[in-house]
Amino acid sequence: MSGVSIIGVGLHPFGRHVASGLEQGAIAARAAMHDAGISWSDVDYAFGGSDDAGRADTMVARLGLTGVPFINVANGCATGGSSLISAVNALEAGAADVAVVVGFDKHPKGAFDPSAEEYGLPEWYAATGLMLTTQFFGLKIQRYMHEHGISASTLAKVAAKAYRNGTLNPNAWRRNPYTEEQVLASTTLADPLTKLMFCSPAEGGAALVLCRSAIARRFTSRAVQLRSAALHSRPFGSFEVFSPWLSVERGDSPSVNAARSAFERAGVGPDDVHVAQLQDTESGAEVMHLAECGFCEHGEQERMIQDGETELTGRLPVNTDGGCLANGEPIGASGLRQVVEVVTQLRGAAGDRQVPGDPRVGFTHVYGAPGVSACTVLTR
Amino acid sequence: METGESTGRPVAPGVFEVRRDGPVLIGATCPSCGVTSFPVESSCPRCLSETMEPCDLPRSGVLWSWTTQGFPPKSPPFRGAASADSFEPYLVGYIDLGRVIVEARLVGVEPAAVRIGQAVELRLVPFPMSADDGSVDDVLIHAFAPVGAP
Repeated sequence: MSGVSIIGVGLHPFGRHVASGLEQGAIAARAAMHDAGISWSDVDYAFGGSDDAGRADTMVARLGLTGVPFINVANGCATGGSSLISAVNALEAGAADVAVVVGFDKHPKGAFDPSAEEYGLPEWYAATGLMLTTQFFGLKIQRYMHEHGISASTLAKVAAKAYRNGTLNPNAWRRNPYTEEQVLASTTLADPLTKLMFCSPAEGGAALVLCRSAIARRFTSRAVQLRSAALHSRPFGSFEVFSPWLSVERGDSPSVNAARSAFERAGVGPDDVHVAQLQDTESGAEVMHLAECGFCEHGEQERMIQDGETELTGRLPVNTDGGCLANGEPIGASGLRQVVEVVTQLRGAAGDRQVPGDPRVGFTHVYGAPGVSACTVLTR
Repeated sequence: METGESTGRPVAPGVFEVRRDGPVLIGATCPSCGVTSFPVESSCPRCLSETMEPCDLPRSGVLWSWTTQGFPPKSPPFRGAASADSFEPYLVGYIDLGRVIVEARLVGVEPAAVRIGQAVELRLVPFPMSADDGSVDDVLIHAFAPVGAP
């Protein structure tokens, strides 16, 4: 179990804004410090990153030139999770008592347009139209539905839940509800996935204040314990985005390994979790990640979701803030947004979207290109 | 997109070769553990061997998964010459060739008729590719079509 606590959380609302990505990150960082009751001069170490919106460390010009060590983290969709793990390592190593982690982004409209070279792939792969994240998600869930009997209705229910939860979240971008029928009737982007089943690249900021657990009570009586944070890259045999080929010998995804590591280090299991945030780049991702993270067997999601078990009032509420579907995907911020939401739920401060029954154990999972996954277990 | 055999420049060297008896995809096999990659990789991601030997891949297989590309990809990196107005959605699949599962366009079939597990075979199809100077070159790309599709 890690010896690290979360004493402050902050967000800049997700969506489309005039402010620069960096400014949105700085606003989130200030909000987290305000929440923790500390100032920037109390911070011993900072980690942060964005994928598309510049260097996080330049934020010192806005937050104060205190000389604090500030390390930029760039790890694709796992940037937030990687910043968090870096801060945990610094705190556990004794390099800091108090650390800030911040993630932000500001992406242009439309699907991501990565270059092949950036991912170590031949130029023809992108030039001929095979290198799109949307295709990967369509291909993965198409196969998964074939193997495990997941229906299109279940995919639509995941999206309808996300938009419904988004209407209850003042920081969410998409705040209009859509029915299952509307989700299914929207344009097909990557069969079987429709437009309303996909999240969109967006903007936003998220930040955390962490400290060594031994001193948490100096700051607050409502600290949340970061029981574990684990990150894995892809193992051989996983089915990943941007793969010109797959092995016939199929294997686990990095999410399986990251979740297993996080639970082992935390000393709790999936059955103990009261609230979870799972990467939902599209509806199918949430379905598959439920099983990959150990919350059910493959195929069991069909019944779970049809029965409403992942709704706010269900046995395992998932993506209670609306997830990526309702918040959009600012890459650098998403992983930290999930942690902010779990902390808010464990504090009982989630307002209209508060999970009932006094939740005490939470879980987050972020996944992205080219096959990296980061998970946390949080308790109070 | 035509599904018949065409002549033209391959999209890139080393992806496929046109032999007397038809086109063939070029992969690589690990001499230590037998893993096969496509295209050619220089080392084995499974057993970490640092040599891989080029090999011909089977010309037919079964469809392992598929999806549609329903909107024009951003350009760059996409170099398809069609404008956003003339963009035609296309199909993409993973084809299980027995020793490796390869990603490719799927041609000669409508989305409603696609079935996981159906038998497909290699084709070369023309792809109008735009260059940085705006000129368009009809190159050949590899694709798979249902066995016997025109």
